Amino acid sequence: MKIHNIVYYVLAYIFLIVVAIFFSAPFVWLILSAFDPMASPHFRIPSEVTFRWFAGIFKPISQYYQMTPFSWIINSAIISVSVATLSTMLSIIGAYPLTRFQFRGQQVLLNIFVTLRLLPVIVIVIPITLIFARFGLLNTYLGLIVVMSALVLPFNLLIAEGYFKALPKEYEEAAMVDGLSRWEAFFKITLRLALPGIVTIWLLSFVVAWGDFLLPLVILRDPWKYPAAVGIYYWFGVYGRVEYGRISAFSILYSIPAILVFLLTRKYLMKGIYGLVSR
Amino acid sequence: MSTSRALSYNFSKKIKNVLRSERALAYLFLLPTLIMIFAFVIIPAIWGLWVSFTPLSLVGKYAMKYDFIGLKNYIKLISDADFYNSIKISFIFTILSALIGQAFLGLMLALVMREKAIKGKSIVAITVFLAWIIPEVVAGYMWGVFASREGMMNTLLALLGMPPRNWLYDLPLETIIIANIWRGTAFSMILFMAALEGIPHYIYEAAEIDGASWWQRFRYIILPMMAYVILVDFILITIWTFNVFTMIFVMTGGGPGNATELWTIFVYRRAFQPPYEVGYASAAANLMFLIVFLIILSYIYVSKKLRWYG
Repeated sequence: MKIHNIVYYVLAYIFLIVVAIFFSAPFVWLILSAFDPMASPHFRIPSEVTFRWFAGIFKPISQYYQMTPFSWIINSAIISVSVATLSTMLSIIGAYPLTRFQFRGQQVLLNIFVTLRLLPVIVIVIPITLIFARFGLLNTYLGLIVVMSALVLPFNLLIAEGYFKALPKEYEEAAMVDGLSRWEAFFKITLRLALPGIVTIWLLSFVVAWGDFLLPLVILRDPWKYPAAVGIYYWFGVYGRVEYGRISAFSILYSIPAILVFLLTRKYLMKGIYGLVSR
Repeated sequence: MSTSRALSYNFSKKIKNVLRSERALAYLFLLPTLIMIFAFVIIPAIWGLWVSFTPLSLVGKYAMKYDFIGLKNYIKLISDADFYNSIKISFIFTILSALIGQAFLGLMLALVMREKAIKGKSIVAITVFLAWIIPEVVAGYMWGVFASREGMMNTLLALLGMPPRNWLYDLPLETIIIANIWRGTAFSMILFMAALEGIPHYIYEAAEIDGASWWQRFRYIILPMMAYVILVDFILITIWTFNVFTMIFVMTGGGPGNATELWTIFVYRRAFQPPYEVGYASAAANLMFLIVFLIILSYIYVSKKLRWYG
């Protein structure tokens, strides 16, 4: 019995070590190369630490271009904040009737949202390009923001619906009995109770928009308009000589908001994963 | 007693009245959402269906030509070896990286994470999460460099005595499969960890007292109790992996040749690279969406059971 246990633990540790090396190795290279004055694809411990690559985020990407990598981060922020705010607002007011009333076709509607949440974006991308070309929305943030919002909406709605359902109706009903109208009760009581949920929805939709690649890739044409995701691809893929140090430093900066959002929503993701999954 | 009953009757009547009068207005709340989804998802999808019946391209003879040509694009697809190749690659990619790689590794990790006596496991969990939450383009960039000839993958494998190779050229499909296991295992791990937490400890202890071995506990307690969760995990990661575009596109662009051309990359290349055959690409996209849609339907069916059971 005891030997059996020891064997089990040794195997578990070996497994964990192999997994840890596999998962951390690409990160190790990314971080080392961002601080290495001689950054290259090679793995090497830098002989000295440089912050040149991080400073380079604020310098033009080449002598032919005025834009800096940092301007791509600003673009990402403008796009993601707009998408998150628009889609969160719409999903909150939209989720309310879904949870407080029963109506015909409700289940069908929810199933449509589930389907849309899992839709491969590439199916929409071609007609969106054609339609946008026709209406002059190609290469505009307005076009990009509304499409992205429409695509994260089903995801937001399903989370919002789960949140509202979990809130006790009694507070709202008590407020209504006390003379508040339904809308006053909704705005003054329910929204306040749901505030942590609303923040979570905003953060999650922000991070979805922050990482989105395919839509800005086909909708935006001018490199100076790119968000960071397309910027990195453009920089890494299309460029002649790859500046590993600067791209790595930029990748780290670009990843930080996503990591922060994860830390802030960790509890919800862990506990609420059933809710996320069963819808 | 009777007054309180009358009072509560009045209350519920009042609530009902409020409900009735404002119900119609409440539906207005759904309207902006529905308009957004119609304008930017449903109508484009229908437009895409229409485009797939035309010879439309972005440039050249068929630029902006919406002539109806019936099923010609679909018939051409059926005899397109490149299309078959992309379907084959997508299926291999999905089965090996999601169903076998992510789900299996995720389950193993979730089981190990349960052991209180094992130290340092949270650090491992954090690196697994990190791979999942960083932007997909960054993951693609890292792996593109990591798996190159000069990359760190060769440095690590040299420790095992393996000669260096350019993984993205020599074994491209295998490499993107490994990269996607790295990327997506966290989801299965979190889901299985949550499911394992739901299994009451006393069941475990009872089995242990009865002398059940590790394998017996796994086979007769954990596996049956997690059956639905595992099924839902399978379906979800299948859909997500089948839809993967960005990470692989950044890593390989579908190449070398079309060795890593997933169906999403096939569609992208046909539509947005010369000769820009958007009609033909739409036909391929619609056909593949049909497959994804069938899997989504199975998900809607199964997840309802999970909601009931969880």
